[in-house]
Amino acid sequence: MKQPAECSLKHSPQHSAAADQRWKSSSDDGLWASPYTLKSGETQHHSLGHSQIWVTLLDMEWQIRSQQEEQQQVPKDWKLVTGHSLPSSDIPVQRFIRNGDAEMVTYVPAMADRPTVIRPYQPLTIAAEGQCIIYVGTALWMNVCIGPKQLLVASIPLSEPSLTWVGSNTMEGELCYSAQSYARLALEAVPKRPWRAVTPVNIHNRRPQPLLVERFNLPTQLLSIHRNHLGQLWTPGVNVEVDTDVNAASMRVDPSPPPAAGPCEPLGPAREQVSRGRFVRTLDRIFG
Amino acid sequence: MLDQLKHMAASVVDGIAWGQWFSSLFLFGLGLLLATFAARSVSRFMAKRASRHHTVMLKRLVFYVIVVIFAVAALREAGFSLDVVLGAAGILTVAIGFASQTSASNMISGLFLLVEKPFEIGDVIEADATIGEVVSIDMLSVKLRTPDNLYVRIPNETLIKTKVVNRFRFPIRRLDLTVGIAYAEDVERVEKLLLALAEKHPTCLKEPNPFVLVTGFGQSSVDVQFSFWVPREKLEASRSSMMIAVKKMLDREKVEIPFPHTSIYAGSHSEPFRVQLMAPQNLPDKEQPDVQKDS
Repeated sequence: MKQPAECSLKHSPQHSAAADQRWKSSSDDGLWASPYTLKSGETQHHSLGHSQIWVTLLDMEWQIRSQQEEQQQVPKDWKLVTGHSLPSSDIPVQRFIRNGDAEMVTYVPAMADRPTVIRPYQPLTIAAEGQCIIYVGTALWMNVCIGPKQLLVASIPLSEPSLTWVGSNTMEGELCYSAQSYARLALEAVPKRPWRAVTPVNIHNRRPQPLLVERFNLPTQLLSIHRNHLGQLWTPGVNVEVDTDVNAASMRVDPSPPPAAGPCEPLGPAREQVSRGRFVRTLDRIFG
Repeated sequence: MLDQLKHMAASVVDGIAWGQWFSSLFLFGLGLLLATFAARSVSRFMAKRASRHHTVMLKRLVFYVIVVIFAVAALREAGFSLDVVLGAAGILTVAIGFASQTSASNMISGLFLLVEKPFEIGDVIEADATIGEVVSIDMLSVKLRTPDNLYVRIPNETLIKTKVVNRFRFPIRRLDLTVGIAYAEDVERVEKLLLALAEKHPTCLKEPNPFVLVTGFGQSSVDVQFSFWVPREKLEASRSSMMIAVKKMLDREKVEIPFPHTSIYAGSHSEPFRVQLMAPQNLPDKEQPDVQKDS
């Protein structure tokens, strides 16, 4: 018999309480993977990046509303307000039957469900036999999980993803998300936001020729999400090695976040599991 | 006479080996039952592991193989020699083949369709002036469900002979929209505006790149082709939403979209219509009775 989807985070209540104390900076800040309890009739309003999300508990159902907004100045924090006001009726609502006395809701971050093509604003050249680490921030999805078993009811993108085609021609290839990046090389310069996860991409150019990085394909669906002691979100590092041909580059996903992230706890699993060891060759083309 | 007939009927009934016939019928029925169960099991097993097309093909194969095996066993049980049956079947096949050339042609065409696989169940195809989703590929015909929910049956032979366009073979499609702008407008500016619109549109792919071509100088407009790529399942929604977005953008940017105007020819000398303005007080008041007329 098929089991309902669960957000596979398995924290003990003690751990969550400790996490609350450690990472919750203020009472009106939202927090990932921390169970919230609502009363019937209450609505939680999240302002997170470009998204506005409303989660309402009623006697017999949960209601979820979400809206994407183009803002000039995106707030850096995750604002959470609990009250009894609902947004405009123009915003579509998703309804979910409430089973039993489940009054608990948990928000678990998830990476994109397909690869993401990262385009640096300015192309980057890696010298022959050179190596560099590029820090990339990618937008997350919010998994809304209800009840003590944390059953997944909705997965909401926190920014509207653009699509692109990656392949040798329009016949062979795959659809990927597209994201622009500053391709920062200094970790300190990378903005840490609650709706973005940082991935270190280690590119090793073993060729005798320089490697021009105009875009590269990040397997976001294979990355899990972790949180460090500062509350920042990280994914395991991705290592790319280019030996001869750019199209024949090999890719490897680390099993855990990089040492630069510090001590981390797992928050959300990868959407897809790497089947054959640590080495993956799931992408047709890693570089554009 | 009646006694003789009764005697003959009794001898015929007694002469039939009822036991053999019942056991062969039981075998055939059991075969049908087993074939149905096996086909359903295969279908369930394959549903998550293969495409609908392959699942249906394997389901039918399993069903017919089991039915044929049990049918042969049932015939043997009934006392038929298999050699004779096969010989008769050969002759019958030739006879039926001559008698029903169309059916045979459709069956062979169906085999070619299965082997060549120009489309699968679930694809949207255009064949014989009909567009629709392939619902099933059967022995004699292919069934389509059209967008307005009609059930269309196209013989396999027709699909072999005619041009078939599979709209679902590749994951992305290009949309070409024709936009007409006034001659007075700056075409390069419009090109930039359209490309910026494609950049912001959620279903418009970043790559392959969208592009704008000037395709001709029309009677009242400069015709521009605006092309961009979208995922195949979002084709129609993208077309509509992008056309709305183009119209709104051109209105916002004050770019004129010309349209043909109709002139009314007034007469042989093309004189303008005479227009006479009448003051309101000169008009007869319909509410008041005409006193003079009544008197």
